[in-house]
Amino acid sequence: MLKPKEIFVKTHRCVGCLSCTIACAVEHSKSKTLFGAIWETPVPKSRVYVQWVEPDGKVPLVCRHCEDAPCMYACISGAISRDENGVVITDTDKCIGCWTCVMVCPYGVIGRYLEEHKAYRCDRCPDREIPACVSACPTGALVYETVDSFSVKVRKHVSRELLRAERG
Amino acid sequence: MYPGSYFGRKGDNVRQDKSRYIIVGASAAGMAAAHTIRLHDRQGSVTVFSEEPDTPYYRPLIPFLVSGKKRSKDMALAGCGPYTGRDITVRTGARVESVNTAEKIVSVQGSGGLAYEKILFATGSRPYIPPEINGADAKGVFALRTLAHARNMVKRVETSDHAVMLGGGLLNLKVAFALLERGLKVTLVVYSPEVLSRLMEPEDAFLLRNAMDKAGLKIKTGCAATHIIADRTGVTGVVLDPGGEMSCHMVCIGKGVRPNVEFLEGSHVRIEKGIVTDRYTACSAPDAFAAGDVAVTFNPGSGDRIMTALWTNAVEMGRCAGRNMAGVKTAYSGTLGILNATQVAGEPFVSMGVVHAKDHDFEIYRHATETTYRKVVFNPEGTRLIGAVFIGDITNAGLYRYVIREKMPVMHIKRYIIDHTLHYGHFVTGNI
Repeated sequence: MLKPKEIFVKTHRCVGCLSCTIACAVEHSKSKTLFGAIWETPVPKSRVYVQWVEPDGKVPLVCRHCEDAPCMYACISGAISRDENGVVITDTDKCIGCWTCVMVCPYGVIGRYLEEHKAYRCDRCPDREIPACVSACPTGALVYETVDSFSVKVRKHVSRELLRAERG
Repeated sequence: MYPGSYFGRKGDNVRQDKSRYIIVGASAAGMAAAHTIRLHDRQGSVTVFSEEPDTPYYRPLIPFLVSGKKRSKDMALAGCGPYTGRDITVRTGARVESVNTAEKIVSVQGSGGLAYEKILFATGSRPYIPPEINGADAKGVFALRTLAHARNMVKRVETSDHAVMLGGGLLNLKVAFALLERGLKVTLVVYSPEVLSRLMEPEDAFLLRNAMDKAGLKIKTGCAATHIIADRTGVTGVVLDPGGEMSCHMVCIGKGVRPNVEFLEGSHVRIEKGIVTDRYTACSAPDAFAAGDVAVTFNPGSGDRIMTALWTNAVEMGRCAGRNMAGVKTAYSGTLGILNATQVAGEPFVSMGVVHAKDHDFEIYRHATETTYRKVVFNPEGTRLIGAVFIGDITNAGLYRYVIREKMPVMHIKRYIIDHTLHYGHFVTGNI
């Protein structure tokens, strides 16, 4: 079986341009255009967050769709489930806005539409081949790969660094 | 060893049914355990007993039946979230009367005995009706716990225009707002000086209280009900102290819960209010486990033995018990005594860990704006976060819970905690 791809974050590449957050909000708008999106109610919100860490760190954060997703087990209304691709989905119709998922998510990546009493999160853009945030990232800080292919690249990178250090 | 289910050999005088796993109680803990067992044991028969007539449902949703926002079929557990396991037999309307833990047989009302290899007690709790309230058995007095209760309440709503709620906890508040949505006048009577006294101190609650007042809920604090007055049509009023008589057509009692342990009388299972469990969710009888509201567990922060009545905790403990029953030895991590999130009167809030700081020398930081309030509580040395209340803005609440639960040293993140600006990036700075 082909393993599903995930969104990986290379924090050292992020320059904090926030292109991902805008692309995400637009993708999750009704009009799917920037100018349409800003006039919608509620204003579409990004499901990816770029946090700043002093002195100069930028950390893009997005739902990890945890294997042992605390939000899914904690949900008191049956709104959170996992689809066949491993994506953890919040069913807006079932969500009652009790925020239990927000209270248990250790990454802080579940957002809230307070007026509507609805939680929202990354859905990995089901209508797109590559999630909008990844497509929009100009520096390659966000990548969309399988765990296997990503870890191979990480190993190769580390090996090169080790060799370079050994050779002085 | 055992096929899906095992029936006694032909010719046996007594039908000797057996289920490898028996679970008593089909709510959060019981069903979480059943589905967890299925992940680890595909063969062993799993039988869940529920004394309720309804198939398992999300109990926290029952106020929505009262408000009319959801129908009972929208609350079904089966197929939602983690409840997708197969071949789990749920027997509704089946009350387990007693358990013989020596011979490992349960006795089910009206259908005899059933043997087990492993058993889980997940019978939950029931509303506590204080004996000092006279007349609480009258028609029109409710203590909401089950779908059946909620249906009865809906019927009563149609002939009522004023409801009195006794108790200012979360459940009663949710029901109060459901009744307000139905157009009733609702008065909440609280003995404590402020609502939600179990989840926060009175001065923490002012934003919530304002929002409730604005939403039209009448609240009387420092007040107790002594009598419920009724005639043949049911409730006609309550007598309050202080305050005297107040007419109403329904009363809802939300004064906490008590664990359902009566069926274990004479079973030699150790009970201290609830069922005493060890680190692996096992109770004192062989091959017997307990989880959820009925179980006595522990607070990892203080080490205290506690009982909680919370869906989320019950699921977590039920999953742990399910693993242990299926032979995957797993320690339960315990739970914070207080761990609540919700939204009342349009105000979101979270309360977790140690939030009652009076008479302690904890290090406390409070911050209030027009629309938000927060209180973070550190241990007296100021080295660990032990509790937090967030009202209005609950951003990243899960991270604070994580810091509390893992007893993280907070020196390097303390000012972010105090300012409520903590985010996950602060935990990964080593990679930058």
